Amino acid sequence: MKLVIDESRCKGCNLCVLVCPYKIFQEGTELNSRGIVTPVLDRPERCTNCRLQALYGRMLCGVCHMICPDQAISWVEERPFEPHKVEVEF
Amino acid sequence: MIAPDWFRDDRLPHIYCTGCGNGTIINCTLAAVEEMGWKRDETIFVSGIGCSSRAPGYILTDSLHTTHGRALAFATGVKMARPDFNVVVFTGDGDLAAIGGNHFIHACRRNVDMTVVCMNNYIYGMTGGQGSPTTPPGAISSTTPYGASEPAFDLAELAVAAGANYVARWTSYHVKELTKAIAAGMQTPGLAFVEARTQCPTNYGRHNKLRTVPAMVEHLRSHAILVRKYERMVAEGVPIPEGAFTVGELVRRSRPAMGVQR
Amino acid sequence: MQGNAACAEGALAAGCKFFGGYPITPSTEIAETMARKLPKAGGVFISMEDELASIAAVIGAAWTGARAMTATSGPGFSLMMENIGYAAMTETPCVVVNIQRGGPSTGQPTRAAQGDMFQCRFGSHGDYSTIALTPNSVQEMFDLTVKAFDLADRFRVPTFLMSDEIVGHMRERVTIPDTVEVERSRPLAEESLPFEASADGVPGFAPFGSGRAVHVTGLTHDERGYPDTTDPAAHDRLVRRLVAKVESARRDIADYEVTNPDAETVFVTYGPPSRTVEQVMRDRPDDTIGHLRLRVVWPFPEFALHEFPNAKVFLMPELNMGQMVREVERHVDQPVVSLPKIGGELHTPAELVRALEAHR
Repeated sequence: MKLVIDESRCKGCNLCVLVCPYKIFQEGTELNSRGIVTPVLDRPERCTNCRLQALYGRMLCGVCHMICPDQAISWVEERPFEPHKVEVEF
Repeated sequence: MIAPDWFRDDRLPHIYCTGCGNGTIINCTLAAVEEMGWKRDETIFVSGIGCSSRAPGYILTDSLHTTHGRALAFATGVKMARPDFNVVVFTGDGDLAAIGGNHFIHACRRNVDMTVVCMNNYIYGMTGGQGSPTTPPGAISSTTPYGASEPAFDLAELAVAAGANYVARWTSYHVKELTKAIAAGMQTPGLAFVEARTQCPTNYGRHNKLRTVPAMVEHLRSHAILVRKYERMVAEGVPIPEGAFTVGELVRRSRPAMGVQR
Repeated sequence: MQGNAACAEGALAAGCKFFGGYPITPSTEIAETMARKLPKAGGVFISMEDELASIAAVIGAAWTGARAMTATSGPGFSLMMENIGYAAMTETPCVVVNIQRGGPSTGQPTRAAQGDMFQCRFGSHGDYSTIALTPNSVQEMFDLTVKAFDLADRFRVPTFLMSDEIVGHMRERVTIPDTVEVERSRPLAEESLPFEASADGVPGFAPFGSGRAVHVTGLTHDERGYPDTTDPAAHDRLVRRLVAKVESARRDIADYEVTNPDAETVFVTYGPPSRTVEQVMRDRPDDTIGHLRLRVVWPFPEFALHEFPNAKVFLMPELNMGQMVREVERHVDQPVVSLPKIGGELHTPAELVRALEAHR
């Protein structure tokens, strides 16, 4: 699964930056075509939900998805599936 | 993940300001609805007027966006006429506690089987940030430029006193807990009242030294005290910090309820 | 049977399944009768916290597809205005009974008046149109209540039974049929949008639970039901249709009685003053006196006035300071004389005869 921010919905409030336990979301710096600074993703493959959602068959963590007031954060299927090299920081 | 087909895709993005917590509370409510397994054709969202009340317009079910303060009265009509429907009311602090205060206490007294989610952002957001019955004393709003001088309502305690069968309070920061509380309310026969304190960065935070969205959410988080901890603090005589409020389940009981499907 | 009881019987006969009310003199007997009989008929009676909530609950119930009504009197009617506008905007079929009493304000709770005739048409803010029926007997309390439900459903508009304390508390013999025929709203066609009107200006009705995910809002909305508050064209299209769907059908809705169409002096009445006129005409068999009695006052059937081609003067006895007389004046060239009577009693036949002699 792949973590995506829907640029057509995101209003750049950075609540995801506040809540992500892996600090995947970072405050952006560049305006997008709608004039909004959307967060950027730092190594999104570290997200537990990306890695394990399919395995467990349910949403894990998902706090960013729940808190996003603009319904802009979701996970999409990745096909063909490519295994990622995951760096987990302890 | 909340199934995208709960949303009216053609209506998004919604009208809420950047960082408004109302969208979060819609997410939590829909997650709870999904947890309950309610069907779209049998779930009715009702709302009054205000920022919070625009919520049903983004949800793909039959929905009733009514007049200011009267949402609970409309919802009572819907639920009593069709007890097989699941009725959820979105409301705000001004809608519920000011103009709709009478309907609120009577809906709690009747204990009509529905779920009321109140997005309490401390002010009237849609009209530009005027003081509401929940504006904390001292807070600056456009009609309390020298600080609010009136005492504020505690909506959850009001619902407990008026007789609702389930009452809980969380904030828009506590998404998982809020979702669980709403789902627990939906399971409880009778009126479930869930107060969700939420940030209004545009009209509240800006005037009250909470200029950024994270600052306002952090303020909500740090001032929330679990009910049990609060009771312990009171018992031990520990002073309660200023501006703190309780979160958690305040009551779950089984008073006689109306409109429960037999 | 009492007028108010006959109204409740009419509602039950029409298949009313929801009544939300609040006690107010002189309409309370309707709520009392409904409280007693509606649960036995498989309906719901609920006593709400105020009239604002009563009409709100009625609208909520109406959107589940149930026939719903409330009954009130002047002060309660004033409170209902907000949500009556909402019902007009959202095209909710519902019936509001107003047993009028003396006003303004608390006025005369136990006395009759016809002072709310403009309020039921123009009472809520903004432009809209409504239907108002005016019974003058206990039998008509029954008949017109049934009819009010049909009109409300057919045109998807709040419909008023504008009665008053006299008819509400009058006792007369009533014939209640075993069954009455009812006409429900046209269902929303599969290919139509929820607020997309047919040729008659009335959209099909998809009550909650019919799987159409209808968003009902009091905001200016487009045919999908979605708010569109800034586009002048959207508002123009919606409000023109809300007014036109009722006004353009006024020949269809009209219900009136014409007596002596060749007369030169014509009484125009609605509600109980017609009973005094009838008495005068019985006392003085004289075909120079005409009588137009309206059972539907809104939308105003101005063509009914033209059924008196020889009319030289119109006399209009009303239990108010002269309300509907303005509507009559707008539509005729002949002089129109208002015969107001307030205080709670009907005109006596002698008073009308005096007016007749003075203006003949």
